[in-house]
Amino acid sequence: MTRFRSVRTRLLVLAFFPLVALLAPLLARERTTEPSVLARLVTPVPFDPNATDLDARFRPPGGEHLLGTDDLGRDVLSRLVHGARVSVGVGLAAATLAFLAGTLLGSAAGAFGPRADRAVLFATGVVQAFPALVLVAAGAALAPPSPFTAAILIALTGWPEVARLVRAEALRLSIAPHVEAARAAGASRRRVLFVHVLPGAIAPALATVPYILGGAVLLEASLSFLGLGAPPPSASWGRALADARESLTSAWWCVVPPAVALFLLVLSARKVGEALSESR
Amino acid sequence: MARFLVRRILGSAATLVGVLVVVFLLLSAAPGDPARLATGGAPGRRAASSEALEAFRAVHGLDRPLPARLASWLGAAARLDLGRSFRDGRPVTRRIAETLPATLTVNGLALLLAAGLAVPLGVWGARRPGGAADRVSGLLLDALFSLPSFALGLLLLLLFSVQLRWTPVFADPSLGLRGIALPALTLALVALAPIARVTRRAVGEALSSPPALSGRARGETPREQTFRALRRAAPAFAGLSAALVPQLVAGSVLVERVFGLPGTGQLLADSVFSRDLPTVLGLTLVSGLAVVVSTLAADAAAAVADPRIVDGEGT
Repeated sequence: MTRFRSVRTRLLVLAFFPLVALLAPLLARERTTEPSVLARLVTPVPFDPNATDLDARFRPPGGEHLLGTDDLGRDVLSRLVHGARVSVGVGLAAATLAFLAGTLLGSAAGAFGPRADRAVLFATGVVQAFPALVLVAAGAALAPPSPFTAAILIALTGWPEVARLVRAEALRLSIAPHVEAARAAGASRRRVLFVHVLPGAIAPALATVPYILGGAVLLEASLSFLGLGAPPPSASWGRALADARESLTSAWWCVVPPAVALFLLVLSARKVGEALSESR
Repeated sequence: MARFLVRRILGSAATLVGVLVVVFLLLSAAPGDPARLATGGAPGRRAASSEALEAFRAVHGLDRPLPARLASWLGAAARLDLGRSFRDGRPVTRRIAETLPATLTVNGLALLLAAGLAVPLGVWGARRPGGAADRVSGLLLDALFSLPSFALGLLLLLLFSVQLRWTPVFADPSLGLRGIALPALTLALVALAPIARVTRRAVGEALSSPPALSGRARGETPREQTFRALRRAAPAFAGLSAALVPQLVAGSVLVERVFGLPGTGQLLADSVFSRDLPTVLGLTLVSGLAVVVSTLAADAAAAVADPRIVDGEGT
């Protein structure tokens, strides 16, 4: 790369999304009192995400509803803000789970001999022989749709990538001089794994976490789009896009905001990943 | 070479069987009695009589223990018999065969479009690394990597169907090219980014390598060197097309939903929704087969192009 780009700047951009998700109940809610200056600042979107208003269906952007209203007269901006909770929540949970599972299985494969190694590699092969969406969709028939189920299913498709990276590093490290020295000094197998191998093996896998986060957000949106994700009236961006398909010819403003929000979230996650792998 | 291929084929077959066993167990473990669901036992509707349930179970072999069902399903699948749909009782193979042409046409068109656009784009960026062309194409690829296929499809629909009225709002294969142009374009844009990236890397590395510099000094044109670099990148392209297959399968599920195209992806989504176990299993087998076979083909192509891969396998 020609220029050094700071990881910190990109992390700050990415942090905007969890911040909106956390503050959503404050940012977008029904305003009961007469709007004071303070209330306007604290609650810029004065509509409840689930408040329907059949007299105000398909209002175009501008005026009272900044981004317009949908087929039930719900405020698009308010639903967008609350939708961040689903996307960010499921994405973060899935990425964390995938990272933990991948690290555990990958280091076990690298440290516990050829039989464990082959078993873990075979499992990663089985999972990766599948389009992730097919696996997640098939699994969605197992349990009632909820953000929790979605996160677990998405993590199930994400761990092999981490496991392969951690395994490769663990194999390389287990014959490194400092590990051999530790073994010669009489360190137990567990101590060798957790103190001398794992800390070094995790680093390259950590750099892929933003990419896994981006992929998890996309998968959650796809699942919701197919109607297999968080159930209504959840404001998930994928479901908003599926609903918008029905009224495409009359209300373009229902399509563009969730699409742009998804795009920006995934893009900023990928940019953090890029910066991380370049700065190493 | 032969031993290498045999080992690869055996490994892939084991992976495929593993995939099928996982899906079979997963779907069998799902809550709810498939017989009751399939015979209309939805809440609020009158449940089927117990005789009807028994008859349904007998027809579909649901009264036998799980391992026996798994074994007989695998045995039948090996003879290309995928059982009958819980939905309408027709053979799963026929249901899949009905939807496959639409999906394959759209995907084929998409791959042609993607390759036709992506290779020039990659070469364009590689000519002057860090130049304006490189940065523009880089931004474009970043954007394509981050936009989910269904959102992209919806935006294209807004532009071409709603604003410009060039194409119908729902895809219709009977209209010919106009009817499937948008789903094909959407899938092509999904596949474009990785192809362009591989091209960019292969050509960029080849053009800046010491042999290329000395070749340039002897009077070789960048054009000749680009074509040679593309030829030499054949194994990378083979591996890439294998990696694209799962993406295209998943993309088809979403894109067909966006455009209302009656293809294999729609069939999968509908079958998952209605818990049509035989159809879901059959489609899993087909998509798994597509992935495994394309990976094998890519491995074989790479081994032909670079024999060191076969030697490396021996360790």
